[in-house]
Amino acid sequence: MAGTHPTDTMTEPAHRNGWFTGRLAAFCLTSTVITVLAGLVQVSFGSYSMTILDAWSAVFDLDILFDPATWNAFLLGGEMPEMDDATLIVWNIRLPRVLVGVLTGATLAVSGAIFQAVTRNELASPYILGVSSGAGLAVLLTLVVFTGLAPFLPLIAATGGTVAFALVYAIAWKGGTSPVRLVLAGVIVGTVFQSLQTGVFFFADDLGVVQSAIAWTTGSLTGTDWEQVRLAILPAAFAIVLALAGARQLNVLLLGERTAQSLGMNVERVRFALSGVAILAAGTAIAVAGIVGFVGLIVPHVVRNVVGSDYRRLVVGCLFAGPALMVVADVGARLALSPIQVPVGVVTGLIGGPYFLYLMRKQQSMGGI
Amino acid sequence: MPETRRREPVQEVLTDEDGVPVASALVAEDLDVRYPTSDEAVVECARLDVPEGEVTALVGPNGSGKSTLLKALSNHLTPESGTVRLHGEAIQSFDQTELAREMGVLSQENESPDSITVEDLASHGRYPHRGFFDRVSSEDREAVERALEQAGVTHLRDTELGQLSGGQKQLAWIAMVLAQETDVLLLDEPTTFLDLHHQFRVLETVRQLNEGKDVTVAVVLHDIAQAARFADNLVAMNDGQLYDWGPPRKVVTEQLLADVFGVEATVEYEPELQILPRRALGE
Repeated sequence: MAGTHPTDTMTEPAHRNGWFTGRLAAFCLTSTVITVLAGLVQVSFGSYSMTILDAWSAVFDLDILFDPATWNAFLLGGEMPEMDDATLIVWNIRLPRVLVGVLTGATLAVSGAIFQAVTRNELASPYILGVSSGAGLAVLLTLVVFTGLAPFLPLIAATGGTVAFALVYAIAWKGGTSPVRLVLAGVIVGTVFQSLQTGVFFFADDLGVVQSAIAWTTGSLTGTDWEQVRLAILPAAFAIVLALAGARQLNVLLLGERTAQSLGMNVERVRFALSGVAILAAGTAIAVAGIVGFVGLIVPHVVRNVVGSDYRRLVVGCLFAGPALMVVADVGARLALSPIQVPVGVVTGLIGGPYFLYLMRKQQSMGGI
Repeated sequence: MPETRRREPVQEVLTDEDGVPVASALVAEDLDVRYPTSDEAVVECARLDVPEGEVTALVGPNGSGKSTLLKALSNHLTPESGTVRLHGEAIQSFDQTELAREMGVLSQENESPDSITVEDLASHGRYPHRGFFDRVSSEDREAVERALEQAGVTHLRDTELGQLSGGQKQLAWIAMVLAQETDVLLLDEPTTFLDLHHQFRVLETVRQLNEGKDVTVAVVLHDIAQAARFADNLVAMNDGQLYDWGPPRKVVTEQLLADVFGVEATVEYEPELQILPRRALGE
């Protein structure tokens, strides 16, 4: 509705802080419902058969939910308390996988959203900008060559992503950068790093490592447990808080470089800092789930179509929609061809490709936000 | 980095028509402005003054360097040599936020996401006044409110930019620079591509701001007749050089129109300054 009388808006601060719209609330709620439902499906089915009732009562078992000892075991890696088989499987195998899905979905979506604002290109994502390949190479090297460094995977992944992105930036730099040059440089660096990834396979000693490495480069949540949750939760929370705090900077970046500069922003510095946040977010996801494609590309896109391009809303929307997509996709990855599990990256690719095809057909122009 | 020639400002005292000295908000000296990709100077000018509290219009044909000069004045382009001083201080010595609190700049082409509202856009004008973690203060709200009011877009505050006409959009952008609440305003062709109604709306807004709040304005206009009616001073640019500078009555001559704009025209000074273009002159 347009046309509010100026005098009553002066005394109505809610009007102006009203970026949290009903539409956003509804979107977040829907996403949460989807995530929870998919999560419940995920904990209820699997090779160990139990009834849905058994599974759900295990999830909502108050004795476990309110027992500090279990949370100590889950979040701090302490001694696991006694529990029956069904409860153990639900809580120790199936539930953490859902949580890792939630964390990776949220971080990948936020990462993509930031990169899209930084490059002012809605086709940008950690994957396009070479960050995923860089982080992937770093993680792969850790798994195959420097096995002792495994506990620091998110940091290592972020470092790899940073190196790749710094290279992309350096290649794209010519007295400043432009969105198009950044994307082109990203493709170049991404290709080189992917070749190096493939090269690393040949240094792996046994087939098991190669297989896990392959699952890993397509992005997989198979076998993730509380250890991955513990690994990812802090960097993810840190990156998310920074992304939320940086929403206003992202909004100003969307007005274009000249305007941002006129408004007093040090554009290159802000761009670089926000890219750092996006790399940390992507690196965290990659460290625990591998290179899951398309999530960082599609989710911000869907959210933007629903709540608009205001980053205060967009980042919040991504935090809810990312997990929804990731957990649903992982249900497909784990249960569709049961007992065979496919990497979740295969499913997100199968969802993402057609979605983009549909957008390409529907929209006249794509690219610029 | 090229060595910048620093020297004490030569106080050539400018005077207005009545011989009263005029202070300059913005002074450029010995400018040599070029783009990174070329070796040739796009703009060379010995001295340019933007007098305090007045409206100065930069006019000239396409490619005469007026926009480039404005970029140098707003620190969007670092000159190869020469200095630009804002209220006596070298413009490079300001940090970016400080400068944005002193000087508002509206570029010629502005892109924004279609889904942001007029009010959101205007609120971005408060960017230099807010720290990273600052919340919106009541001061910010009032400034945005005033800016919307001045630009005459209060009734459009909740409308998304994508639904506005070109003229309304421009007024929304003007509201954004007004919310910045600066003493100096630089506008690059704010009326180009607008219909007549919105051209006047934009110019009237700028004029009111100048008269009501004593804001110094430098504006690139491509219509010399409009500039002559609207501005206190004209700066006529030709081929990267300053052709002439002064009040419209002094600057606008048939000779200027022939030399700079390549048109044969009749200029009438009574009852008011009027330019009647006749025909294009040969190259």
